[in-house]
Amino acid sequence: MNRPLVLVVDDDPDILDAICDILDAEGYRVSRARHGQEALEQVDSERPDVILLDLMMPVMDGVAFSHALRQRPAVSDVPIVVISADGNPQRAAAVGAAGYLAKPFDIDALLAHVAGITRDVGAPRPGT
Amino acid sequence: MEGMDARDEKPQTARSRSDEQLTSRSPSREDPAMRPGYLGFVAHEIRNPLSTALWTAEMLVRMTMADRGGARGEKLSAMCLRSVSRVRQLVEDHLLCERLDTGGLPLCIEAIGARDAVDAVLERHPAEIASAHGDRSVGVEADRGLLERAIEGLVAVAGAERTPVSVTSHVADGRVAFLVKGRTAEEGALSDPVKGTPSDPTGRALSIALARRIAAALGGALVVQGGGWLLTVPRAQGYTAPPSTTAFP
Repeated sequence: MNRPLVLVVDDDPDILDAICDILDAEGYRVSRARHGQEALEQVDSERPDVILLDLMMPVMDGVAFSHALRQRPAVSDVPIVVISADGNPQRAAAVGAAGYLAKPFDIDALLAHVAGITRDVGAPRPGT
Repeated sequence: MEGMDARDEKPQTARSRSDEQLTSRSPSREDPAMRPGYLGFVAHEIRNPLSTALWTAEMLVRMTMADRGGARGEKLSAMCLRSVSRVRQLVEDHLLCERLDTGGLPLCIEAIGARDAVDAVLERHPAEIASAHGDRSVGVEADRGLLERAIEGLVAVAGAERTPVSVTSHVADGRVAFLVKGRTAEEGALSDPVKGTPSDPTGRALSIALARRIAAALGGALVVQGGGWLLTVPRAQGYTAPPSTTAFP
């Protein structure tokens, strides 16, 4: 059975590397995108089980990405967890996010969010 | 030392222009209403590398000693160090911006060779600066540390994404102008960044804001000219260049 796929979207390359490393070590499959446009190409290529989404990004920001995602029937219901350094959880509500993590968040909080959401959507457990 | 004022902190070798110029008189922010947006940007910029530093450090702690010495351990260690360095740059730039805005920062104004200031930055950034030109007989009246910091920041910004940088100094209208050219300078970048301004993954997001404040504190200015950053500071009249070795002919 395929392991759950997590798409990480952030314009900061170190943030991308770090989160992908954390998730990979926990047994998740990960894909990455540097902005919303790249993320749309990723979801069109393979449907992720959950999306970790930064909001402030060049080219296409997180809000515009979420709106575009909701227009795609095949992936419109993919849960989004906003990961943001702007300290404003209300912005997560604006994109209909299933969760919000304020940077710098704890690794365990990240893993708990991802595990909870992938369990809720019936995705296989990591490492299986 | 009790009772010590800014003037007393000045080394004996320093040449002051006047007592009024011994402390910074940088103008405050352009518009106080922009302050929340500016601080929001600073917080955002610091939280990103702070996050990476914390996560990579924690991941390293969770690894076994043997794994820590492996490829993944090395990668995480490098990321952690890079992130901490980025945080340090941002915090130091932000604090200096704040001190300059507040005013009263002790300055050590002295006659400095314009080219010597460039060479000092060049020694720290040999990879970024592709060429440096300037008359060695030209001097500026400036605080050496602040001037070098401003030039260094401009070089770092102009040298983003490995863009070759040229630094030239020349006399213009009784002042000395340092022109830093590399990646095209944008007029809009002279304004303080606010929340929503694109992030800088190198930690140099406040370099232009700081260079502009330093220029003002030294009695000069920072503008965009011909796609480069033009930093002007007062010229030291009658400056005599000491004999020195040079990094560039």
